[in-house]
Amino acid sequence: MVDFARVQKELQECNRDVELSGIRVSPKSDNLAHLIGAIPGPHGTPYEGGTFNIDITLPDGYPFEPPKMKFTTKVWHPNISSQSGAICLDILKDQWSPALTLKTALLSIQALLSTPEPDDPQDAVVAKQYLRDYQTFVGTARYWTETFAKASALGIEEKVQKLVEMGFPEALVRSTLEVVGGDENMALEKLCSG
Amino acid sequence: MAYDSIANASIPTAANAKDFAKKKRANRSAKLKQCKLDARREQWLSQVKNKRSKEEMNGGGGMHVPRNERERSMENLEINPQREDNDGSVNHYSDSDSPTNSPTSHSSSVLGSNASGTNFTGSSSSRSSSSSSSSSVGCYSGTMSENDEEGDDGCLDDWEAVADALAATDDKQEQHNPLSELSPEREHVTQLDSHQESTNISKPNPICVGTAVHRAPVSGRAWRPDDAFRPQSLPNLLKQHSFPMNSDRHYGLGGTAWACKHAVSAPTACPICCEDLDFTDSSFLPCSCGFRLCLFCHKRILEEDGRCPGCRKQYDFDDAVEREATLDGGCLTVRLARSCSMITRS
Repeated sequence: MVDFARVQKELQECNRDVELSGIRVSPKSDNLAHLIGAIPGPHGTPYEGGTFNIDITLPDGYPFEPPKMKFTTKVWHPNISSQSGAICLDILKDQWSPALTLKTALLSIQALLSTPEPDDPQDAVVAKQYLRDYQTFVGTARYWTETFAKASALGIEEKVQKLVEMGFPEALVRSTLEVVGGDENMALEKLCSG
Repeated sequence: MAYDSIANASIPTAANAKDFAKKKRANRSAKLKQCKLDARREQWLSQVKNKRSKEEMNGGGGMHVPRNERERSMENLEINPQREDNDGSVNHYSDSDSPTNSPTSHSSSVLGSNASGTNFTGSSSSRSSSSSSSSSVGCYSGTMSENDEEGDDGCLDDWEAVADALAATDDKQEQHNPLSELSPEREHVTQLDSHQESTNISKPNPICVGTAVHRAPVSGRAWRPDDAFRPQSLPNLLKQHSFPMNSDRHYGLGGTAWACKHAVSAPTACPICCEDLDFTDSSFLPCSCGFRLCLFCHKRILEEDGRCPGCRKQYDFDDAVEREATLDGGCLTVRLARSCSMITRS
């Protein structure tokens, strides 16, 4: 059973200085076992200016077991799957400590964006590009940031409106856009296929 | 003034008693002054022993007249029954062991209260003399005559009685008023000379003596840790003392700046479950890194990987519980702890 008292307290603590850290955690549903985290892209990186959403699922053993986190915003990073958004980070696996919190975990993910570890990759293609052609990697990462991480902040309503005009129901459009991280073309593709 | 008070208090007895008291005082006051100027019990005892024979003579002489006095006072004063009770309580201090003394001490105490007026005017020069006046003459005669049988206890108890009576003067004055026979002048006397009045009044009032005996030790002393009546709201000294010892022991082994910082500001809530730490939890320091958590979370962690949340090291060797066990049990428990740790690691 998730320690909801602690989760509630963590949410309060995290939202208290959201202006300072930029890290935001909000519940996705009523039971506090599913949350959405958002971290700003660190300055001086290809991810600067983007806002990256992270889906958080708390296991029953939380905080004695690590929370399950993955990016819902597409990101081009050696340690983050460009397909699934899975994160390769030790504190989310064997180095988790009950003393860590959702906020500290998200801060660690933010630090991971600053310091990729291509030698221990999650996405082999990205890691290979990072090692062989760093400039291309930086360009791709910046492009993904501009495309996916800023999309939700800039013009999600325009995309929703455009897709609704194509004949899709608004609720389905919004959920699909959220799933694909705000990518209009991927949302359209998913809507057409499913 | 003292004359007036006594005149009010016991007019009929005063006539006889004054004469006798003056004679008695003439005999004793000189000796008693010498004794009381020293104000030491040892000297008291020595002088008392020296004067035993004379005092017995005086006491024997005093026995007859005070009985008359007592009879009259019985007729005239409502206080007398209380005085009789008094004498019981006074005897409780000094005279109780001598059955023959109960009438004499009774009479002498009554006589003492009378003689207090006479003596008070005459010997108000020093504290010892004032305390020696009247009642002290009476009661000391009683005690001295009893000292023949008891030795030290008479004087010692009498000093304690005086001290107790001094401590409880307020109570006396409160209980003093209901006794209608005692005049306001007498109350003035109590305020003027508390030493004398403490002795004087404590004898007419049996209640006063009793309260004085019970209250004096309670009010004067601090609570001892093992006192049964010690309020539980007071902090426990033993546990408070044990806490810094524990922390010192742990910090000495692996203390870091982080640990010291946390020692200064110990968390009030468990950082794992966010529940408030009770006293047991807050004194629980399972890891040398200084990371504190509640016992429930500690047990939960031991059931899983058994690593400290603060430093990610294994709890085994730094476990406070096992360490205490090693202190008690010696090498055997050390081996047990290590074997357990091997099992949990593998």
